[in-house]
Amino acid sequence: MEELELQEKKPNILLTLYQKSILIVVLLILWAVVPLYLHNIYVPPLGEVLQEFAKLASTGELFKHIGASLKIALIGLAISQALAIPLGVLIGWFKKIDTYLDPLLVVMRNTSILAILPLFVLFLGIGEVSKIAIIVWGCFFPTLINTIQGVKTVDQNLIRSAQSMGISTTGLFFKVVIPASSPYILAGFRLSASIALIVLVGAEMVGAFYGIGFMIFNAQHAYMIPRMYVGILTLAILGVLVNLLSTKLENSVLRWQETNTNAV
Amino acid sequence: MVDGSKILISTEDLGLVYKLGRGKGKSKNPKAATLTALRDVNIGIREGEFVSVVGPSGCGKSTLLYILAGLYRNTSGKAFIHGHEITGPSLDRGIIMQAYALFPWRTVEKNVEFGLEVKGLKKNERAEIAREFIELVGLSEFADRYPYELSGGMKQRIAIARALAYDPDVLLMDEPFAAVDEQTRTLLHDELLRIWDKTHKTIIFVTHSIDEAIFLSDRVLVMTSSPGTIRDEIEIELPRPRNNELKSSELFGTYRNKIWQHLQSSTDSTREVTTILGRHILDTVPQEAVI
Ligand SMILES: Nc1ncnc2c1ncn2[C@@H]1O[C@H](COP(=O)(O)OP(=O)(O)O)[C@@H](O)[C@H]1O
Ligand SMILES: [Mg+2]
Repeated sequence: MEELELQEKKPNILLTLYQKSILIVVLLILWAVVPLYLHNIYVPPLGEVLQEFAKLASTGELFKHIGASLKIALIGLAISQALAIPLGVLIGWFKKIDTYLDPLLVVMRNTSILAILPLFVLFLGIGEVSKIAIIVWGCFFPTLINTIQGVKTVDQNLIRSAQSMGISTTGLFFKVVIPASSPYILAGFRLSASIALIVLVGAEMVGAFYGIGFMIFNAQHAYMIPRMYVGILTLAILGVLVNLLSTKLENSVLRWQETNTNAV
Repeated sequence: MVDGSKILISTEDLGLVYKLGRGKGKSKNPKAATLTALRDVNIGIREGEFVSVVGPSGCGKSTLLYILAGLYRNTSGKAFIHGHEITGPSLDRGIIMQAYALFPWRTVEKNVEFGLEVKGLKKNERAEIAREFIELVGLSEFADRYPYELSGGMKQRIAIARALAYDPDVLLMDEPFAAVDEQTRTLLHDELLRIWDKTHKTIIFVTHSIDEAIFLSDRVLVMTSSPGTIRDEIEIELPRPRNNELKSSELFGTYRNKIWQHLQSSTDSTREVTTILGRHILDTVPQEAVI
């Protein structure tokens, strides 16, 4: 009578891996070979960049920059999420607040963060505080807006069902509203995590003494071209890692969902 | 109305007027902004009784059920359970909705445990009770699955298990089987009657299907709309246990005609009734009843 389809199609892992990596591999090979014939100082071959990479890694200088960047990014991300999620739940729940707040939020989230960066520097200097602050700003809105949306769209039947069992308001928030909006919240988090890196680099270029952004900017000024590429490469790898981790988190928290449409 | 056993749930001139509009506060014409969903509803449900409420969609069946569940506040009259006025939800009433309303992020077992968590039971007690009721609805092997992995009929059985687990006195069921296919529905009818027989719960079962109401119930309340009110009630004296052959019996047909006529006489034209009620009722009404 009622049967479940339990077959899961196992995709060919090797084929998928090939399909996903072939373009990147080709590009890397081109990068390794073409500059050898180009003789352009601005485009060093991959080999040279990797040598510089190894050198910076062995002296520990690279990790000092990575560490400085990650520390600020993580602190900023943590603060922003700790503010955005509870606030988003409240705003989404109390529809009156949303009516008043929505226009302001539209303005704030659509104002380029690069445009207000100087403002942060002006008030908070070029130290860690201003960088953390700008990351908090940048990561706050995606999660806030997603959380509001998630809470607003919670299935009313689920709320009624829980209420019919006499659940307390706190219980309702923690046992129903937040889990029900978790797909939205996590999507906001994933977006925020990648924004954290982007904003950070911008902030470090404006003024800093450490950090990947500073390293890139500084190397460009000093015409240390391979070093500049090392910075860019490092950022690319960090970006991919951040995406990978947040997608993993999302998938493991949301394994109850029928479809996982999250692209890597 | 009372044949010896106690009245569990009753209402006295129960009414509910919805305020319409976007909650703008003061409207210039207050009358235009209201809808009388229920008026003067008087019912008495005996302990252990299986009562169906049948009526066209929009007549106020869900509204009535939600008031009894304590989720909506009536605007006039009173509703009672155990002789006390209903002022809010409580674990003495379990509601089962058409849309299942299972928590998708919880496994079957955790769904069934939900009310027990609210009740404050310990972890191992919850698990034990949950397993017992999952077994009662015959889905033990699916205890660790998530709702999306279940068919509609299975979801509804889990919703029933979830409500039964916290041991309410009455199950309030709002068109619970309207979304499943005919075949599954027949199975679920048998299953529900078996569970009812085993647990001795009082059941108030809302449906827009006349056949479903007759087949399951001790008594059918016929509801009509604008404003929603109970038009009549019919004791169903079909023998139990009920089986499918009963549906073609003469007595069944008599009940069917009787209910149909109540619904029909409340509206001016037959066509209006049939379109309001939808295909399901049209199908179940014998040819001669459709004039
Ligand atoms: N929350 C609400 N606000 C305003 N009107 C409502 C609300 N819920 C139901 N109604 C109206 O009340 C009437 C009865 O609805 P309902 O109880 O859902 O009927 P049924 O369950 O019999 O289909 C309908 O006209 C419906 O449009
Ligand atoms: Mg309804």
